Amino acid sequence: MEDPEILAKFHEPASRNLAFNQLVRKYQQKVYWHVRKMVVDHADADDLTQDVFVKVWKNLENFRQDAQLFTWIYRIATNECLSFLQSKRRKFFLPLNDVGAELAAKLEADPALAGDEIELKLQRAILRLPDKQRLVFNLRYYDEMPYEQMAEVTGTSVGALKASYHHAARKIEEYVTKADNPGWSASETD
Amino acid sequence: MQTPFRLAEHSRRGSQPLSSPPPGYFEQLPTRIMTQVAAPAHQPGLAGRWWAPAYLRTGLASTLLLGTFAASLWLGGARVPAPASLDAVPQAQLVEYLTSGETRVDMLDLAELPTQRLGLPTHYMQPSAAELTDALDAQPAEEAGLL
Repeated sequence: MEDPEILAKFHEPASRNLAFNQLVRKYQQKVYWHVRKMVVDHADADDLTQDVFVKVWKNLENFRQDAQLFTWIYRIATNECLSFLQSKRRKFFLPLNDVGAELAAKLEADPALAGDEIELKLQRAILRLPDKQRLVFNLRYYDEMPYEQMAEVTGTSVGALKASYHHAARKIEEYVTKADNPGWSASETD
Repeated sequence: MQTPFRLAEHSRRGSQPLSSPPPGYFEQLPTRIMTQVAAPAHQPGLAGRWWAPAYLRTGLASTLLLGTFAASLWLGGARVPAPASLDAVPQAQLVEYLTSGETRVDMLDLAELPTQRLGLPTHYMQPSAAELTDALDAQPAEEAGLL
């Protein structure tokens, strides 16, 4: 079902549930993986994905259609991730690196990365980025999102996004290069 | 010599670099989400609205309990029976009581009674001539000198 049809059916009380069900089925995987890459843990990603769609349900009536539906959903998901990570840091009164260490520990335990040293180093490097920069990197590198759409999702200019991605890529390459050094330790910081 | 790592040369793992969610996750997720959003299918009626948030129910229950307690204290205090009033006792009975047997009181004692403090009705201390005569006639002979 195309987005205009989903929206039209959603506005009709009789077909609202059906339309929303279609919307969830259409976008659930994209939303889940977008969130999962930020929070790493499946259980956290599950909670946040549900929160995202509940918010979509509550606000879809007021969606002005001045942006694509998926861009709007992605924006909600992005805000939920950033709020989650921010509250995690505030809640435990931990400096940035400790929450990063917690996420890194979950990464180490992920079976998909077991045995793939380079991929594990890459993921560790991505985790070390600030949350917003990590978000930009994920959207560009993994989702191949155009900068113009990314600008709508993040509310940041295209130029700033390009610069952010460029710096993120450089940081990651430096980290993985150093990590390949036999004398290097995973606990080293910049 | 370190081989520089280049992102462009690294084979990307698609858009899902981490492990997959549990089997059947995406089949069940829409149902779980619909359960959350479609639950309040209708506005509750007046009776339904009574099941307000927990904090409101607790507050109402506490207020009701305290109010009942306060009301029972107030009403319990108001039910103390009023002391029997001497006004209800006939004068003749009073005089008989005071001048008979062990409770005998002579006229001098009666004359000195502080009526205000004892709450004696004024008409008791201001008997009529007939009442006085009757009272005096009832006195023993040795007190005849008071006449």
